[in-house]
Amino acid sequence: MMPAVNSDTEETRYGAFLDARLMARFFGYAKPHRRWLAFAMILPPIGALSQLAQPLVIQMAVDRHLVTGQLDGFFGLLAALAGLGVVQFVTGYLQSTVNAMLGQRVISDLRQELFAHLLTLDAAFYARNPSGALTNRVANDAEAISQMVSAGLINLVGDVLLLISVAVGMALLSPRLSLAVLILMPAVIFVAFRVTQRMRVIQRHGTLLQARMTARLTEETEGRDVVRLFHQQQNAMVQFGRLNRAHRENADKSNFLEAFQFSFVEAASTMVVAAIFWYGGLLMAEQTLTIGVLTAFIDAVRRLFFPIRDLAGKFTTMQSAMSALERVFTLLDTPPAIADPTPAQAILPPPHPKGEIHFQGVTFGYGQETVLSGIELHIAPGERIAVVGPTGAGKSTLIKLLNRTCEPQQGSVRIDGIPVNRIPLAPLRRMAGVARQETFLFSGTIAENIGLFDPAISLERIEQAAEETGAMGFIRALPAGLQTRLTERGNNLSAGQRQLLGMTRIFAHNPPILVLDEATSSVDAVSERLIQTALERLMRGRTALIIAHRLSTIRHADRIVVLSHGRIVESGTHQQLLEQQGLFATLHALQFREEPEAVT
Amino acid sequence: MKNATTSPAPSRLRHLLPLFAGQKRAFALGFALLALTNASAAAIPYVMKLATEELMLRKVPHTLILALVVLAIVNAFFRIRSRTLIFGIGRDVEFALRSRYHAKLLSLDAPFLDQEKTGELASRAAADVGAVRMFVGPGFLQISNALMAYAATMPVMLGLDPLLTLLALAPIPLVLGVSRLLTRRMYRLSRVVADRFGALSGFIQESIAGIAAIHAHARETDWNRRFAAETEELSRAALRHARLQSLFGPMVVLGGAIGGFIILAHGGREVAAGRLTMGDFVAFSGYLAMLIWPTVGFGWILTVMQRGLAALDRISGVLDAHPFLDPAVAAAPAAEKRWTGAITLDHLSFAFRPDTPVLHDLSLEIPAGSLTGLAGRIGSGKSALLQVLARLHPAPAGTIRIDGRDLNTLPEAELRRELAMVPQESFLFSSTLLQNLLLDRPDPSHFRAREAIRLADLEEEVQRFPQGLETLIGERGITLSGGQRQRAALARALVGNPSILLLDDVFSHVDARTEARILENLRAASRHRTVVMVCHRVAALQRADRIHLLDQGRIVASGTHDTLLETSPLYRDLHNTMSRAEALEALAR
Repeated sequence: MMPAVNSDTEETRYGAFLDARLMARFFGYAKPHRRWLAFAMILPPIGALSQLAQPLVIQMAVDRHLVTGQLDGFFGLLAALAGLGVVQFVTGYLQSTVNAMLGQRVISDLRQELFAHLLTLDAAFYARNPSGALTNRVANDAEAISQMVSAGLINLVGDVLLLISVAVGMALLSPRLSLAVLILMPAVIFVAFRVTQRMRVIQRHGTLLQARMTARLTEETEGRDVVRLFHQQQNAMVQFGRLNRAHRENADKSNFLEAFQFSFVEAASTMVVAAIFWYGGLLMAEQTLTIGVLTAFIDAVRRLFFPIRDLAGKFTTMQSAMSALERVFTLLDTPPAIADPTPAQAILPPPHPKGEIHFQGVTFGYGQETVLSGIELHIAPGERIAVVGPTGAGKSTLIKLLNRTCEPQQGSVRIDGIPVNRIPLAPLRRMAGVARQETFLFSGTIAENIGLFDPAISLERIEQAAEETGAMGFIRALPAGLQTRLTERGNNLSAGQRQLLGMTRIFAHNPPILVLDEATSSVDAVSERLIQTALERLMRGRTALIIAHRLSTIRHADRIVVLSHGRIVESGTHQQLLEQQGLFATLHALQFREEPEAVT
Repeated sequence: MKNATTSPAPSRLRHLLPLFAGQKRAFALGFALLALTNASAAAIPYVMKLATEELMLRKVPHTLILALVVLAIVNAFFRIRSRTLIFGIGRDVEFALRSRYHAKLLSLDAPFLDQEKTGELASRAAADVGAVRMFVGPGFLQISNALMAYAATMPVMLGLDPLLTLLALAPIPLVLGVSRLLTRRMYRLSRVVADRFGALSGFIQESIAGIAAIHAHARETDWNRRFAAETEELSRAALRHARLQSLFGPMVVLGGAIGGFIILAHGGREVAAGRLTMGDFVAFSGYLAMLIWPTVGFGWILTVMQRGLAALDRISGVLDAHPFLDPAVAAAPAAEKRWTGAITLDHLSFAFRPDTPVLHDLSLEIPAGSLTGLAGRIGSGKSALLQVLARLHPAPAGTIRIDGRDLNTLPEAELRRELAMVPQESFLFSSTLLQNLLLDRPDPSHFRAREAIRLADLEEEVQRFPQGLETLIGERGITLSGGQRQRAALARALVGNPSILLLDDVFSHVDARTEARILENLRAASRHRTVVMVCHRVAALQRADRIHLLDQGRIVASGTHDTLLETSPLYRDLHNTMSRAEALEALAR
């Protein structure tokens, strides 16, 4: 939960106190829980009543029994007092529990919607938005909104109602005296709110400094060899000391503001009481005020002032929630660039697709830069195509177009004659299983990483797939076999093992079309042989489109397609291309000179 | 947590007590200010009572009103002063403890740090040091307040009516117990909530990082299902915490209400019978109200202190650790004279862990100014040898000598000036490239940085960086490719112009041609520098004056590339593997 080091920009901006447009939309999420909401709204008045009634009961007991000395009915009052205490306890407990529950329910719904929406967004979106910010949307922003519900909104309504009713009560008792009190109120409220806001800013700055210290310490620990090798201990101490000192100084400010806030409201209420004594004394001299009303006023001042402190805190909660809502809704409103076809447009692929692929006049580029232009490529069912070419020739874009990770600007891509943009994304991507250069491993067991949490893929199938690729060899040697948990991103596996797992994943999902971007990371000789065998088996009975980096893959392909500067420049079998004396022949001569025949 | 009661208190506070030494006066002053705060606060209701009495006589109580205003200001002043002073002590202790902890961490070396998790070391400096602060500042405040509240009210209450006092205080143990129990469980549950929140964030982060894999296999539905389960877990944990928290306030109020009930039930009858005055009755209710919150605070602070002690234990674990090298030796002044750079290994054996030896009885001479290659399979001990040579890990006394001096006796400043190593992981700090190169060298000469960049063949690329050498790299700046990072790390080692340069497989992400160029540059720049390198390319090894072939921690063959190729089957095998890898690598580009 470590906060991002440079989170002091967008994330800490305050929103308005209340934004009607945002709130209206947000209430849509609260609607399914409106019964609980109603329940939450009636609890505060009950609690307030039971609290207010207690002094009255004591008052009655004193006047009727303690002063007179007769005890008839005294026990009834005692019972009433006990009852009120219990009621206050129960409503107090229910009030916070129900609020917390409402906050959690509303936010669970919103979170799941946000996450589901994130999954529909395309690669270009992820390239634009840093993952830390997106994680913050779903985790932290949602939390801020939940805070608004559980700690702010409902209690805020209660507080405001309480303030209004006390003020009305005072006005009824003595309009002139209340006017005097109410004139002083805005100044007190203003100062309390300003101090609270300032406190928030200071506290956030403190959190930020703390995060920076943690980041520094983490970096120093991770780079401990470098710190030692270059004798940087003194330097590190100076740098860290600077942050630590700034944190210490910031703490002084926040300590002061906290103490000030605490004392200010207290002192202000005493001064208002002094003012009541003075003005009330004058009014009493005029015979326009009774002592009873004056005492009631003093009591009312206490009741008025404590919610103010509370309100100031809630004000900032609301502000952070508003800016969080704004960001969250903006994210929800970002449309996915690549979406399912409309039901009317959608064509489901046949249950057993042949795996014929057709690129027709495909052109693709980012902005001004053209990546692929005028690609014409027909791949027959079961054919094995190796795509080769220099870096930046557009090889990986070709496969992105096939499973619709990108969309061409011109031309079309068809599978079994159906344009890919007419096939709903899920069946399309199940049809063309793409394996990237780097196998991304999730936290979880080896089996979960092969089956990717698909309940339809049984453990037997996973094991079978691992046997097919030969991955089972190293998996068996692991402490818990297929159930071994991977450490962070699988960094306890070698490059070769990761590649094998990626291939096993494809076996388990069994797509009719194999799309593979061969890994370039070099592996030891044993893994190399295993990977070669696995690939051989994977291609069996499938149409294969492979961005080839291995000579063996290239040699065993039915056809080699050479891409250069976004165009297909050569195409044919290994032998044909060598004889053509073109780019492939040059590449081949350059790159495989030292390759011993024994490998293939 | 569980060792909270195992060792006696004084020894557990050994690292904390010295920090209090200069704070005695501050504590005394803080206590005095707190007493004044409480006294002035208590005076306010009394003045109000007097003022009401005067009003009853139809007089405007001008003096008392003035007194009220003065009291309000004085009370606020004392309260602010006492709180800032006492919390300030806590902050001072926090600051000093964190500085000590950090300095200690810097003095510790690989054998200790390798056993610790980075995240935990960092969280000790943040969370644990913070927990100790709570123990000092708020701890002192709450305990003082509770003491004063009881000291002020108990004599009066007992003097009025001992029996009623006992009865009225009956709910106090309940309040204390509940406060203690609830706060303890709340802390525990808030940890659970934080963990679950961390897990949720981790899940989101991982899903974003692996979004391509999720899309490629159309796994969205299952991922949504998994996310819902994570959300549910967090929600449940948060609710369990909220329910407990919801109990806290009402429980305290209930405690007060029970006391009030007892006072009315018993005291009321006493008043009715004329054994107690009306004023005493009102006073009792007031005193009880004064005791409730300090008691709650006391219960809470006991929990805070327990946590603070546990945190202190974790910090002490680091403060009590020792580096393998005698700090006095390390801090000794550096000799001015430059080294020639001759290295002698004399029956060197080494193990990271006692039961698994890594290097066995190595003896060899590395002449000054030579280029020495270390070859061998993964795990043969090449990197370990470099790490020991660089004194990142301890070698037995006398087994490594540089220019005839035992490695373990060399001052740290001198060693680091003369010997540079480029480790396998090219770690760079997230600051500018220039800062990474120069570090804290007193002579901030751009010239040396530029020269190093040129030698490491990074010059051209740096020119294309948005701000050249001033470009910020790492999380907040641009991301360097693996090859760029390796060359930047190499350049950093070259800036200091060391006599000995140790290179641990630093060209793995650099292509063969660039590697050749860099080695050429290094040779041309200094013919006197001793270079020892681990590498996995045939061409680089061919350049070495001498290659030592390691296998399972022993030197199995030594010689030039050509002789080894003829005489050593292991080297031949390795050579074939390397050539093949190079061909594959070339195709990838």
